[in-house]
Amino acid sequence: MCGIVAAIRFLSASASRRRQALLAMSKNIRHRGPDWSAMYSTPDNTVFLGHERLALNGITSEGDQPMHVFDADGEPIISWVVNGELYNHKALAEEFGLKLDYTSDSAVVGPLFLAKGFETASLLDGKFAVAIYDHRDGTFYAGRDHMGISPMYIGYGAPGTENENAIFVSSEMKSFNDVEEVDSFEAFPPGHYLVQKADGSKQFEQWYKPRWLVDETYVPDKPADHARLRDKLHAAVEKRFMAEVPFGVLLSGGLDSSLVSSVACRVAASRNMPPLKSFVIGIKGAPDLDAAREVADFLGTDHYEFYFTAQEALDALRDVVYHIESWEQCRASVPMFLLSRRIAALGIKMVLSGEGSDEALGGYLYFHEAPSAEEFHRECVRKTSRLHLWDVNRANKATMAWGIEARVPFLDQVFLDEMMNIDPNEKTIDLSEKPDGVHPKLEKYVLRKAFDTPENPYLPESVLWRQKEQFSDGVGYDWVDSLRAYAEDEVTDEQFAARAERFPGDPPETKEYYLLRSIFEEEFAKKVKSASATVPRGRSIACSTPEALAWKEEWMNSAGDISGRAVNVHASSDGFGMDDRAMDDLTVFANGNGAGASASQKKSVAAASALPEATQQQRRQRRQQAPRTPPTARRGAPKPRAAMNGAGRVASRHLRTSTIRLH
Amino acid sequence: MCGILALLMSNEAAMTRKRVKELSGRLRHRGPDWSGMYQHKGNYLAHERLAIMDPASGDQPLFNEDGTIAVAANGEIYNFKDLFAKLKRKRKPKTQSDCEVISYLYEDYGPSFVNMLDGMFSFVLYDSKKDFWLVARDPIGITPLFVGFGTDGAVWIASELKAIKDECERVAPFPPGHVLTGGNSVAGKLENIPKGTVVLPGGTAPVDLGSAAVDKEASAPFVRWYQPKWLKDHFATPEVFPKEALDLTRLRESFERAVVKRLMTDVPFGVLLSGGLDSSLVASVACRHMDSVFGSGSEIGGFRTDRLHSFCIGLEGSPDLLAARDVAKFLNTQHHELHFTVQEGIDAISDVIYHIETYDVTSIRASTPMFLMSRKIKALGIKMVLSGEGSDEVFGGYLYFHKAPNAEEFHRECCRKIRALHMYDCARANKSTSAWGVEARVPFLDREFLDVAMNLDADEKMCKAERKEGHIEKWCLRKAFDTPEKPYLPDNVLWRQKEQFSDGVGYSWIDGLRDYCEREVSDAELAAAAHRFTHNPPSTKEGYLYRKIFEEHFGTCPGAAHCIPGGPSVACSTPTAALWDAAWLAKGGGGDPSGRAVLDVHVGPGLEKEDGGGGKRAKK
Repeated sequence: MCGIVAAIRFLSASASRRRQALLAMSKNIRHRGPDWSAMYSTPDNTVFLGHERLALNGITSEGDQPMHVFDADGEPIISWVVNGELYNHKALAEEFGLKLDYTSDSAVVGPLFLAKGFETASLLDGKFAVAIYDHRDGTFYAGRDHMGISPMYIGYGAPGTENENAIFVSSEMKSFNDVEEVDSFEAFPPGHYLVQKADGSKQFEQWYKPRWLVDETYVPDKPADHARLRDKLHAAVEKRFMAEVPFGVLLSGGLDSSLVSSVACRVAASRNMPPLKSFVIGIKGAPDLDAAREVADFLGTDHYEFYFTAQEALDALRDVVYHIESWEQCRASVPMFLLSRRIAALGIKMVLSGEGSDEALGGYLYFHEAPSAEEFHRECVRKTSRLHLWDVNRANKATMAWGIEARVPFLDQVFLDEMMNIDPNEKTIDLSEKPDGVHPKLEKYVLRKAFDTPENPYLPESVLWRQKEQFSDGVGYDWVDSLRAYAEDEVTDEQFAARAERFPGDPPETKEYYLLRSIFEEEFAKKVKSASATVPRGRSIACSTPEALAWKEEWMNSAGDISGRAVNVHASSDGFGMDDRAMDDLTVFANGNGAGASASQKKSVAAASALPEATQQQRRQRRQQAPRTPPTARRGAPKPRAAMNGAGRVASRHLRTSTIRLH
Repeated sequence: MCGILALLMSNEAAMTRKRVKELSGRLRHRGPDWSGMYQHKGNYLAHERLAIMDPASGDQPLFNEDGTIAVAANGEIYNFKDLFAKLKRKRKPKTQSDCEVISYLYEDYGPSFVNMLDGMFSFVLYDSKKDFWLVARDPIGITPLFVGFGTDGAVWIASELKAIKDECERVAPFPPGHVLTGGNSVAGKLENIPKGTVVLPGGTAPVDLGSAAVDKEASAPFVRWYQPKWLKDHFATPEVFPKEALDLTRLRESFERAVVKRLMTDVPFGVLLSGGLDSSLVASVACRHMDSVFGSGSEIGGFRTDRLHSFCIGLEGSPDLLAARDVAKFLNTQHHELHFTVQEGIDAISDVIYHIETYDVTSIRASTPMFLMSRKIKALGIKMVLSGEGSDEVFGGYLYFHKAPNAEEFHRECCRKIRALHMYDCARANKSTSAWGVEARVPFLDREFLDVAMNLDADEKMCKAERKEGHIEKWCLRKAFDTPEKPYLPDNVLWRQKEQFSDGVGYSWIDGLRDYCEREVSDAELAAAAHRFTHNPPSTKEGYLYRKIFEEHFGTCPGAAHCIPGGPSVACSTPTAALWDAAWLAKGGGGDPSGRAVLDVHVGPGLEKEDGGGGKRAKK
């Protein structure tokens, strides 16, 4: 990963001021590319391409961007910058007979554009945000990968000014904070490209058009092919081994990250690589840490366990809002942000991560309530197509804040197609059914089944077939409790009562959201209108899309009452899977704090008690097994650790949120 | 390196923690690896950590056993193992950090323990039981440290000015080799405070610190803890001059020990190699000791230790690149040659000024390549580098030293240069590397080595024509490493005359800078410079632009401009030495400080002109 910026047809002010503006844009995203920067401009200083480089393929100048294709006189014809990884660069060069001047994967873009024009984006396999300037006719071309794994924002000059045709591009919108010439901006739509001609006319085109995405009437009916799924995930993981720097895996111990780790270990072994490094973070004693350790032991990874305190997390809150450029998912982003810093400190620059499977396969627990297989499929499509606003945005920016690149094999184009073309009847959840005669049809059954190879197991049976765990298990309340208490302190009742005036149209429903949105508005104060518009809105039940509210009448009718809503979901969906918005209520529920709880909450407690005895027993055991004393670090000889700020260490399940539930 | 920020004796306002956190974030480049914060009443210690020792744990602030004493430290204590052994009561270390010993030493020895430390450091110690605090900085000021005073009487301490620039009504460099103590407890109850310490009464402003005052002996309320013989003699009235005879073996071995000491690391490291004498010597000595320190065939963080990594930056084809390549080849280092363009350098100027916190023209010219190089070094995964700063000050290596009228004046100038290092080369070396989370270690400023080199009769350092090696600066250092049977360096490197860093990176670098500044600053602006900048007004367009950028970053901070020394200088001389030759000042004093003035001055027969200031250097 890297950071890119661009300005096209930027005319106002002096050349020197324009360059300074671009340097400022670039500097604001330097965390994405700590290793080098470069700024190219045309001789008239109206077109700029800038790059902040994270060098994953050596530090020689070989991979420095911007890159150019030159004509016979040494003048640039095509200039470009790319943020991302293009896994098929060699294949493309071969297929189209492209002559590459640089060895880096980014080098393929310009020659490809020369050969294939606007088709370029659709031919690239990987994740990318690319900006290309064609000197011959002044055409500007920008494109973003199929899922929006690489972030990209596009800004516009003020209409009616000399900058009215100006376009500004950046990997993160914070670039626009300090550039007054950017009048408005928006997120660049994933799977699209943009062409702007020299006369200023411009158009977005969607290039990523698999049938499951664009055909609203399409419901797949292909049976799941387990061997094929397995092979394709292998291929997706292997593709992502393209790096010359040490890398690792984010391992929370949940299904998705454990599968990615397991497959990655096999790939590494096949290449005679040393054991992979795996990373987990939690408040000390969190069951998450145990789960990850169990998997790490099983896989034999070089495992690193990191801890944080609630105070450290609170201290990082503002940075996290600033970095992920959203007030959503902050609870889950903070641990990932802290973990990334630890990973970077070890000299690791790239990690594999498990995002995407919950969306493509309907892994969230509210999917239990899908009224039909068809509706199940549609929700998968909705969730998947919006990933760039949620988990993919978070995973990318929380890691890139420290110059760590996260790669997400589940969102590989080929593997995604596999998942999205499976008959949704195979994805629907029915715990009473045992398709293989042994395992209940849990969420993501097809994926579990694909990797259920007892003769040569990918994961311990208990991990492969474990149900999603509840976020607030064990003693993991510290972080969320602290955050909520902090918000209570920071936001007065008077402020909160006036929230509709402060945030007209879409007032936050809790003090926590009030606080997060306030921080967001402070951090993006100069561009608050455009910035706020990039954050997703709409009501949600436990991570659902707003559309899925129609699945249940009480969800529809629960407008404005997030509590009741969420708790009902919780009860009816077997106590699993809440999103950030639902957590407030879960805490009430899981604390068993019935006193003062609403009727609906009490009902939910009762409903939860009606869970199958086996499930309850299993949970009780898990709670009992959760260690009360911090485990010693298990890498090598345990080293004594300094007390951090003297704060006590307690367990939490927070990372589970970031790596399993929200994926 | 790390970044430290402390707010002491503040009013405990509700917003303070958040604010301190935010300000500490401005030092995060120094310590990208983790942040920590300690608070007790109105005292805050914040730390941004670069993990060099014990990267997996060792987060700061560090504490004594019962957690009542907190320490936020930046730097390296090379003798921490010896110090652990010297504790009056044994402690079981909680981390592998070299700084953990600080709180124990304080417990066992009281504030005078500072004098036991060998290394580069600045730290804040807070004793919550006594409500007492102590701030200290290493002898020469290798680590940066600033002190500021808030309007409420609070004391601010920070590794870099940028963290406290908006909080203080007055700021100043924290004087190297000094301690500052204070607290809300009653001064009389405190024991073991070094004589002369002024304990600041809570809530009242301390004595005014003029920028000139900070380098004076015992400039209250600061107490000088670093008082080696050579410095005491220098301050004595009448001044006493060193008379020790030159012992080449002792000089060599002392330097070797200084380098070896600095190989204490748990992370990959390298050496900055410009191909000049000083950096080449550092590289050569380090190479000799890699195996004995690390054991042959070992690895740190995936980097093999059998070959030292060396780094050099320059414009393509620059003299440094060629010189460094020769040395690297001779030493068989794993050499990395890094290139930059004039445009890249110019694009970085504002960042450089922000990071180095100076408007000094020479510093900015020389810092920019180092700043760019550090980024690449970090990109490779290297966190620590050895560097050659200090030798020119200790041995009088600048070309203007040829004009020193006698040994006394020569020695005096060395002392002045060393005392000013923290504002020049130390600031440059530390901050341009720390900007990217790389730590620079400077063996020439080792405490023991200084004791050897600074007690030498300065007559041995003088440039003399009658020696068989000829009229050359730093003769005694060269001679100490002139061991033909097992050479440290090729002869032509060992005996090559000085080049200046900002020039060696490529002749067009300074030309390019100056051209750029010519375009950016109008004649009218320059003419009015003295009105716009009342303190230390710039006299060139280059100086004007740097100053303007400095003001953009630090203009609102009272006293910031006073943290940078001014006065006439010839090719890096102090203002006093600028008087050595009347022709210098007459020619160009007050103009281009880095060498334009000496452009036409013959400093010695057969010498290259230093830093040609736009002209092409005379080549031999």
